[in-house]
Amino acid sequence: MQFKIDDLPEILDGEVLRTAENNSVLVKIGGKQHVLRLLKSGTDEFEFMLDNSFHSAKILQSGTSEVRVMIDGQPLVVRKHSKLTEVLEKTSAMGGVGAGDRNLISQIPGRVVNISAKLGTALKKGDVIVVLESMKMQVAVKAHKDGNLKEIKVKQGASVARNDILAIIE
Amino acid sequence: MSKKITCILIANRGEIALRIIRACRDLGIKSIAIYSDEDVRAVHVKRADEAYHIGSAAPAQSYLNMTKIVETAKTAGADAIHPGYGFLSENENFSESCEKNGIIFIGPTSKAMELTGDKMKCKAVMKKAKVPTVPGSDGIVEDVEEAAGIAGEAGYPVLLKSAFGGGGRGIRLASDEKQLRQEFEMASAESRAAFGKAALFVEKYLERIRHIEFQLIRDSHGNSRHLFERECSIQRRHQKLIEMSPSPVVDQKTRERVGEIAVRAVDAVDYLNAGTAEFLRDPQGNFYFIEINSRLQVEHPVTELVTGLDLVKLQIGMAQGEEIPFKQQDLKMNGCAIECRINAEDPFYEFAPSTGIVPNCNIPYGPGIRVDTYLYPGCNVSGYYDSLVAKLLAWGSTFDEARIRMKNALHEFMIEGINTTIPLYKTIMDDPNFIHGELSTDYLERFKILDKMTDNAKESAKKSAKAAVAAVLLRSEFVRKTAAIQESSAGRSKWKMTRP
Repeated sequence: MQFKIDDLPEILDGEVLRTAENNSVLVKIGGKQHVLRLLKSGTDEFEFMLDNSFHSAKILQSGTSEVRVMIDGQPLVVRKHSKLTEVLEKTSAMGGVGAGDRNLISQIPGRVVNISAKLGTALKKGDVIVVLESMKMQVAVKAHKDGNLKEIKVKQGASVARNDILAIIE
Repeated sequence: MSKKITCILIANRGEIALRIIRACRDLGIKSIAIYSDEDVRAVHVKRADEAYHIGSAAPAQSYLNMTKIVETAKTAGADAIHPGYGFLSENENFSESCEKNGIIFIGPTSKAMELTGDKMKCKAVMKKAKVPTVPGSDGIVEDVEEAAGIAGEAGYPVLLKSAFGGGGRGIRLASDEKQLRQEFEMASAESRAAFGKAALFVEKYLERIRHIEFQLIRDSHGNSRHLFERECSIQRRHQKLIEMSPSPVVDQKTRERVGEIAVRAVDAVDYLNAGTAEFLRDPQGNFYFIEINSRLQVEHPVTELVTGLDLVKLQIGMAQGEEIPFKQQDLKMNGCAIECRINAEDPFYEFAPSTGIVPNCNIPYGPGIRVDTYLYPGCNVSGYYDSLVAKLLAWGSTFDEARIRMKNALHEFMIEGINTTIPLYKTIMDDPNFIHGELSTDYLERFKILDKMTDNAKESAKKSAKAAVAAVLLRSEFVRKTAAIQESSAGRSKWKMTRP
C-alpha cells in the first residue's frame, strides 16, 4: 500500500510484514524494515516504539481513502494512495471533469444565512453561492468553477456540516 | 449609588464568565451564571455558586435576551450584573434596563454608553475636547451610492465600519468602487447579524499603521486613570490576534502624553468604570483616536500582568461607588506581557471556523504563564458563539523573556479535535520582524506570515510522516484482526441458532 501525507510531496510505501507474539510487528515503511514494539493498542489509540522513539497515535477519523491521525499531538492526514487517485488528480488538474467536480462542498459547519445565487443562472468561478454563519463569522462560499447552477441543496436557515454538498454546478 | 454588591449575575459565557466568577470568589460575592441549551455542560455553569438556564442555543434566545436576563437576576436576588464583553456589554438599552430595575450594571451608564457607541457623535465630542481623530468622512451613509460618493472624495482604500460595531465585526476594506459595492452588502449583513443594526460609515484607510490602545478607569467621583497602553497591531481582518504591553514604540514620554489625551477622552463623555481608548499610530508617530470600547476588553489580562492590578475587582469597586484607590503616579509598569488569542479557526484554511468536541487538551503552565479558558477534556466548542477558546498569556521581566515563555507554552498547548490558531502564533514568536517590534495592522500580509507557517507545518509533518504511516498500518492490522475474531464468533452463534 502507498501512502501520502497531506502537505508533503513524497509517497511512502508501507506494509505489515509479520506480527510476532511479544507485541512486536515487523513493518516496511519507505523501503526500510522496522520493528515496531506495541505498548498500547485499542481501536483508535496506539502507543509504540519506532526506531528507539516513543510515539502516541490517536485515530481521529478513518475513511476508506484517508485517515486523520494525531501523532504526538500533531494532526496529520494520511491518504491511501493508489495509481487511480494519481490519474484522477492529473486529469482534474488538466481541466478534466471528474464526478465530484460538480459538487460545491462546504468546508465548514454553519448555518445558511443567505442564498446569493439563482438557480439555472450562469456562474463564474468565485461568484458567491451561499453565505454561511458560524462562530459569529459570515463566510461566503464561492463557486469552485465556471458553469450553470443546476441545484441548490440547502435552504435558508438550515444547518450544514463540514463536507456537505451545498450546490451542484455543471 | 454606594451600595455594597453581594451577588452578581454574569450575563456571559466562556472564559470571561470564569474570569468574573474568580473575581467574585476573591471578594466573597455570590456568583450567578446563566446558560443556553448549548452550554449545559459548560464549565462556567459548574463554577458559579448558582446557575440558571435561560433559553435555546441561538444568542438572541439566550445571552442576548435582555428581559429574561433581568428577570433571572431579580429572581436570583442579584444586585448587580456583569456583562463581560460581546453580547449585551455595549448595549445601552440593557444598561438602562438594569438601572430601571434597581440592578447595578457593572460598566458605564447608559448615557455614556450611548455616546461612545455612536461613533460619529463620539467623534464630534472628541473634536471639541481637542482629542485628535482619524481624518476622513463624517456621518452615517444611507446607502451604497452615498458610500461610493464619499469614498471617491476621500480616496481609496477606505474602510466600511458599522456605527454600532465593536471588536472589528462588520468592518470591511475596499480598495476600489467595485469592491466597495460588493463589500457594502456583506458588511451590512454582518453588522445586522451581530448587533441588530446596520448603519455603516466610511473612513479613510491609513496605511502601515499600528493599533495602540490605552486602558482607562473612571469612578463616579470623576477620578480618571490610564493603566498604560497595549499594542494590538497584529490583526487579521481587523480582529486582534496578539496584544502586548508595553508597545515597542511607546516610551515613557509618549505614554504620559497619549495617556493624558486618553484621560481627556473618557472625561469628555463622563465615562464610568473600565474602558479602552483605541488609537491608530501612523509611521510618523501621530496618534489618532478612533473609539472608546465601553466594556472590559478581551485583552485586559495583559494590563493586569504589567500593573499587578485586578481589573474586574476594580470594576466591581467602582460600580459600588468606591473611589479608585491609587493615584496616576503610584502606577508602575513592570516587565512585559504578551497575549495570544487561541481561536477555533483553521489558519491553514482561510481561518474557517472549527467546532466540535475537544476529547482532550493540555493547558500549559509554568513561571509567568496565565491561561484564561473554558476548555476541559470533553468540552464542546459551539458554532453558535465566538471562536475564542483560550487566551494564553506570558509575562517576562523583558520582552524577550515573555516571548520565549510564550513560544514554549504554545508548544505545550495541545487541543485535540478542533483546528486552532496555535500554529500561527508559533510562527510569529520566531519571526524576526516580531522580535524587532516591526508591527503594523498589515503585519501578516506584509511579512508573508501564513506562508512561513505553512513551511513550518511541512517541516514538522516530515518528522512525523513515518510514525503516521506506522499508526495507519497498526490500525488496519487491528481492524483486520478484530474482524477475524468477530467473524469466527459470528459463525459459531449462527451454528448454535440454526441447531434445532
